[in-house]
Amino acid sequence: MPILPKKKVGIVACSGEEMPEGTVSRVAALKVLEQLRPNDTVTICLPLFLAGGEGDRAFARFYPTVAIDGCEKRCAARATEMYSGKPAASIVVTDVVSGNGLGPIRGSRTLNEAGMQAADLVAQEVARLVDGLLGRTGRAIEEAGVEEATAEVPEEAISLCSCGSGIPVQKVAVNGRVVTLIALPAIFEQFYQSGKRPGDGTTRELLEVTRIYNPIPPEEEAAYAQALAREYEKYCRKQVL
Amino acid sequence: MSPNRRVVIVPCSGIGKTFGTVSREAAYTVVEDLRPDTTELVALSLLVLGDEEARAAVAGHPTVTIDGCRLACATKMVQESGLPVARSFTVLDAFRKHRDLKPEGISSLNPEGQKLARVLAEEVAEAVEELGKSET
Repeated sequence: MPILPKKKVGIVACSGEEMPEGTVSRVAALKVLEQLRPNDTVTICLPLFLAGGEGDRAFARFYPTVAIDGCEKRCAARATEMYSGKPAASIVVTDVVSGNGLGPIRGSRTLNEAGMQAADLVAQEVARLVDGLLGRTGRAIEEAGVEEATAEVPEEAISLCSCGSGIPVQKVAVNGRVVTLIALPAIFEQFYQSGKRPGDGTTRELLEVTRIYNPIPPEEEAAYAQALAREYEKYCRKQVL
Repeated sequence: MSPNRRVVIVPCSGIGKTFGTVSREAAYTVVEDLRPDTTELVALSLLVLGDEEARAAVAGHPTVTIDGCRLACATKMVQESGLPVARSFTVLDAFRKHRDLKPEGISSLNPEGQKLARVLAEEVAEAVEELGKSET
């Protein structure tokens, strides 16, 4: 397996602007990203994800995601499953609201008191899910320097998009068309460092590892193999220059 | 404008960048403050995932998109859902025209970002007015 950037958890919020629960999902997501687990989470931009953003879809293919949905329509969870893979965890605002007996949530633009309480509860639950997914408990959380729910907002808190997840991609010509292959530069680097040089055996291995991160239609395997062999040869030539 | 001639507003739903926040704030300003009787906000994800209610809300009504950046996800996704876009706006274009209004912040916008959202919302509100007239 190629060495990929530090494991993080992707947060996908439905962000439905037309309903207060959508705003709760957004506020809760930002609270996790900016205050509760800033070093362990990135936001996956739902519109970009839907529009085919390769970085966001790639991130969700590599790393666990938590979907935060405003209502039972579960747009964030469904979109994640449709385009990348089933979210590792999913939370629905309306469930949290009814489960905690919170009053009616109002204000799509500015949440009322019950809405802010719901956002806090959802954010804390998401932070707990993030810790679980990263295998952290108690002391490990403290050692990781993660801020607890009561911590003050950092002055320059920013939420990191998965666009900046650092998963490398490479465009390659296959059968006369250009395809974007996720993780290919990292795969090439790892193969080269482990002494694998261009050849039929290496090409077969490259195809198998590349397939883990990229859909390769069976009828195009030969074309992909040819493209990988060509690109890896180029890569190796560059290394010796 | 009667309710059946309302204009649908679809903002970018991005939560990771400032421009997304400006787009959302501009949309709320149009729908809640400037043209509350003639506009309706519809969430992008519902449209894209084929929600019948959201599609019914859009069908037969002019749709205005407000995108954060040049990726124009809202415009592209509405079009790819088979729905026409009557007018499209981007925060980036508004910022190019108002360089002094540099938006900052995601959870809450700085005063410049709020002003930029207001300026953009006023442009959108004018477009809503024009679209309403063209339908009469």
